[in-house]
Amino acid sequence: MNASPRKLTLDEWDDRHEQLRRDGLREPTYGGPLRRHVVRDRNFRLQHLQFDNSPAALRLWNFLLTENQRLHQARANGDKLVGAMKDLGTVPVMAYALPSMRAFYPDGAWWTPCLMECGDMLLQQAETMGLDSSFCPVRAMLPAFEHGGHFPRPDLLVCSAGAICDDFSAIAQRLEHLGHPILWWEMPRRRQPDSGETACALPGGLSAPKIQVDCVRAELGRVGQALGELAGKHLDDVWLADGIRAANRVRRTLESLRRTVYAAPAAALPALEMLVAEMLAIHFCSDREESIAVLDGLLAEAQSRARRNQFAVSADAARIFWVNPVADLRAMNLLEEIGGRICGTDYMFTHALDLIPEDLPPLEALARAALADPMVGPASDRAARIVRECRANGAEALVVSRIPGASHCAREGEIILQFARREIGIPAIELEISPVCDAMRTGLRSRLQALVEIARDRRPA
Amino acid sequence: MIRAGIDAGSRSIKTVLFDTERKEILASGLADQGVEQERLAAELFARVLKEAGLGRSRISGVVATGYGRHAIGFADTTITEITCHARGVHWLAPSARTIIEIGGQDSKVISLEDGGRVRDFEMNDRCAAGTGRFLEMVAARLEMNWEKLSELGRQSRKPAIISNVCVVFAETEIIGLLAEGKPLPDVVAGVQNAIATRVSALAGRFIAPPVYFTGGVALLPGMARALEEALSCPIHVAPQPQFTGALGAALSDGA
Repeated sequence: MNASPRKLTLDEWDDRHEQLRRDGLREPTYGGPLRRHVVRDRNFRLQHLQFDNSPAALRLWNFLLTENQRLHQARANGDKLVGAMKDLGTVPVMAYALPSMRAFYPDGAWWTPCLMECGDMLLQQAETMGLDSSFCPVRAMLPAFEHGGHFPRPDLLVCSAGAICDDFSAIAQRLEHLGHPILWWEMPRRRQPDSGETACALPGGLSAPKIQVDCVRAELGRVGQALGELAGKHLDDVWLADGIRAANRVRRTLESLRRTVYAAPAAALPALEMLVAEMLAIHFCSDREESIAVLDGLLAEAQSRARRNQFAVSADAARIFWVNPVADLRAMNLLEEIGGRICGTDYMFTHALDLIPEDLPPLEALARAALADPMVGPASDRAARIVRECRANGAEALVVSRIPGASHCAREGEIILQFARREIGIPAIELEISPVCDAMRTGLRSRLQALVEIARDRRPA
Repeated sequence: MIRAGIDAGSRSIKTVLFDTERKEILASGLADQGVEQERLAAELFARVLKEAGLGRSRISGVVATGYGRHAIGFADTTITEITCHARGVHWLAPSARTIIEIGGQDSKVISLEDGGRVRDFEMNDRCAAGTGRFLEMVAARLEMNWEKLSELGRQSRKPAIISNVCVVFAETEIIGLLAEGKPLPDVVAGVQNAIATRVSALAGRFIAPPVYFTGGVALLPGMARALEEALSCPIHVAPQPQFTGALGAALSDGA
């Protein structure tokens, strides 16, 4: 079953899946040919993507694309569903600490227009609800809530407020106004401690004043109480500590996977599968234990390929550090088609990749992890981490991918580009990638190709 | 060895034949772009070869660039126009540190290091307001060609202020200005200034002298002056600006 790494179209995966089954491939309950996600769920974009050919990648895609089914099944089984919003990685750790509770991110619906090539009409429907294309594609979750057909309505909605982007605030407020009550919790904008203030170390080499950590800890205590009430149990420190250890298991595996693929001279797995894999850190794709199994499979595949000296992307490819997830998954394929590879990423949730401290009281540890969110601090903090990782992984160029309409910080991209140019002198560009970027493909290709050419041209002779 | 570069732009196709041993341009040619890009490029290539008295077998390699580069099936390889303009301008003007290229459908600002390597670039391919397309629209509206348009711009005494940065709305604005009796040369100069302002916003941090202006729009005398005012620095028009992309392609060995 261990074929040499290769990119497959959906058609080719049909044949490969058939062959793997004949060879005795054992799949989880959500397994099967990728084609069914086009036929049944109208995820037409899959027909235009190129996939890694490993069984581990097949399992990853099937896991990702069956999340809504998994949530509906969980609801049918009597599990409580929590819709976490905006914090990206903290509330789910708490929710999964409780038995029979799952958390997911309804705002993950922002990828649905890409997968369904806008056939879902979510963005158009959002427009009729007052959120036009000047807003982030996260607005897709609004009609998904209103009209159903995607994820089940959560039993509890939890959303951070304060240091979050204007778009998200507007969209979440509109959601509440439409009759979906939200438990808001305050997230202050992270700042450096003033002189005389007690400083607390945060994951990722950051720090914040103790007063902010105390604030977030109290807020998360309120969230924990609401989760406990929903579950009919008290979310105590023992459960929370177990939840943190399990989340760290996912994070450690992802760290190994990222190191194996990004830091190595050649990439053992393609950029697209790595993007999806990284996303599992946020909420475990609604099944924490299975997400560990999926990641273990990918890590084993990557390590096996590295040992065999077989790679998914040419060793000569230009090493690109990529900032922000793309609205159209096709862009990740495109980068590799024109001779680039990913050597590091910041997909807006680096705090969900860092280990949550296990030597602190659980709520304190979670508060510190939440405050390390790159989205709640100054753009310069984020830029500094990006530059550090660019250096560590030998990045030859930097791409900041912009999400149309998203306005977390209007100048953040520019700040990151300037920082990278100044500190490490690598070429850097900002790209806007829409949910379906076909019409922009020529321009997008030219920009990426030029970046790759420049990166290669700058290599020592 | 003789190498050929083909720049398949949005408005025209350009070809340059370059002798890599004597380090000189042997021939160049230009043709309008059209739907059948490969056929048009092949015809131009054949014509330029014939005019230079060369057979196809004398050409050791063909490199295509420009937005239509992937349509040129007879090219040995493709390279982006950013790299090619940089190589072409550097060969013609080794001191160049910044290149402004305004083409038919996009505009670029390219920053060069010593030795001509590209340090970085910015590109506008999403808005027609900073491209030759803006001038095309005005020329069509005024029913005149580019040369006449440029000549008119030079006669301006008080350029109009075209406040809008969107070509579609700017057209309405231009119609309004003409209806008010604004002299035609002032309107044309206003359009050139609007393009220059747009490009200067794109250039931002990149501008390091000497700045060279290339691309077909550089042939219009008023544009270089408008850019000088917008950027507050001298602008040198690259020699044969419409051919720098094709020259850069011919100078490339596919790397």
